[in-house]
Amino acid sequence: MLSFNKSVYITLVALAMLNYKLLLAQSPELPPGSMEKKVTTACTECHESRIILQQRLSKAAWTKEVDKMIKWGAVVDAADRDAFIDYLSTNFSADKPLMKMPRSVSLKNKQ
Amino acid sequence: MISRRNFLLTAPAALASAHSLALLPLWAAEKPSVYIPGEDGMIVRSERFFDLEMPPEFFDSWITPVSHFFVRNHMHEPSTIDAGTWRLSIGGEVEKPLTLSLKDLERMPRHSVTNTLECAGNGRAFQEPHVPGIQWQKGAVGNARFSGPRLRDVLERAGMRPTGKHIMFHGLDEVPGKVPPFIRSIPMEKALDEDTLIATRMNGSTLPKHHGFPARAMVPGWIGAASCKWLSEIKVLDQEFDGNFMKPGYRMPNHPLKPGEPLNVEDSHVVTALNVKSAISSPVEGAVVKSKLQRVHGAAWAGEVNIEKVEISTDEGATWQKAQLGPEQAKYAWRLWDYVWKVPQSGDYTIMSRATDSQGRVQPAIGEWNPGGYLYNAIDQVKVNAQL
Repeated sequence: MLSFNKSVYITLVALAMLNYKLLLAQSPELPPGSMEKKVTTACTECHESRIILQQRLSKAAWTKEVDKMIKWGAVVDAADRDAFIDYLSTNFSADKPLMKMPRSVSLKNKQ
Repeated sequence: MISRRNFLLTAPAALASAHSLALLPLWAAEKPSVYIPGEDGMIVRSERFFDLEMPPEFFDSWITPVSHFFVRNHMHEPSTIDAGTWRLSIGGEVEKPLTLSLKDLERMPRHSVTNTLECAGNGRAFQEPHVPGIQWQKGAVGNARFSGPRLRDVLERAGMRPTGKHIMFHGLDEVPGKVPPFIRSIPMEKALDEDTLIATRMNGSTLPKHHGFPARAMVPGWIGAASCKWLSEIKVLDQEFDGNFMKPGYRMPNHPLKPGEPLNVEDSHVVTALNVKSAISSPVEGAVVKSKLQRVHGAAWAGEVNIEKVEISTDEGATWQKAQLGPEQAKYAWRLWDYVWKVPQSGDYTIMSRATDSQGRVQPAIGEWNPGGYLYNAIDQVKVNAQL
């Protein structure tokens, strides 16, 4: 049988993990497509999806961004680079309406 | 487990009833609100990195409370900072390199500035064509009272060598991947100004975590990026720091560019002081005006210089009337302004605000386009519908 301290420790770790998952789950998903998973994995390693969702850029601008992020550590297979650029410039092109961002609430029960 | 997308696909009726989501594709569906302790009613541009924008309705208070003060981070905030073990090192071109504790800073003479701090990219979302970056609209700006020792007093203790020309700041932000660290520098003249501080307090309380606890640089009148948060190292350099966030980042062209034209880094300069600018707090965009006497109010600021006047137009810029400037003022701080609009008849109107500063700078009709989306300062405007 587990000691009381160990049980408390395990419970706390589990709660922390759950909290972390809930935190990640707050960010909206990227749009569906064959590159959705790979883009999500590569980009949200460092930052959440809203940073991508709010951009409205030309293909040339997305190309610069993808290359900059690869230089800054985003793990993108060389064979996937063009597909990343296509996916981002199709879904987040300059003609798309601006994204409506959520508001913060400082009291949990108001959410 | 039901994924977010599956839930959304199986709940179209619930979605249709949510007005704010009606125009968005399913994948972009957002909760209307996100629980963030201590941050009330802010526009959540990103939670990771943590970037919050103040909505226009909060331009109604001369001092912005911390809960409404914008937050801008390029990196992850430090996961832990212990005020007891935190140290600030001062080195480089100095005679006596120093290491100071928070208590050491608190024992030094304290000075305060009320400073309108604005992110260089505030208004980036209004640039056409769009440029990459956090798509700030009007509220990556706030006005707060910052206090702490003068930077020059700290530098004097270290004894600067005559070779020192620039002061570099390095904070404790946690850098992801191979991203260059957020290190920038300011020229000696600004560093030695009596109002440039190492701030340990904001609005009379301990500097909050999102604003750089336990200490941040405070370079008043300049873009927010100059005021490094979670400060841990000050280094006196013999030349301007040339890392990513000084070059090619945070640079403006020496000559205006055509929209979409690339920046020639060799023909550009570092962004320093803020532009002249005004923002309409109320009415808000799309408001229905029902009173024949409608109050229009907001704030105006101009970096290191003073606001001279704010003018309002309700006839597409054909005529302008002076707004009343608020009584509260301080060097580097915004002025609140107020105007009573006599609404002539029902219909659609555009309300515009235009600030002029003590150097004669006037807000332009169109902001100067640049690829970083910096220092946007076009005349502010809101569209309203009068139903008298």
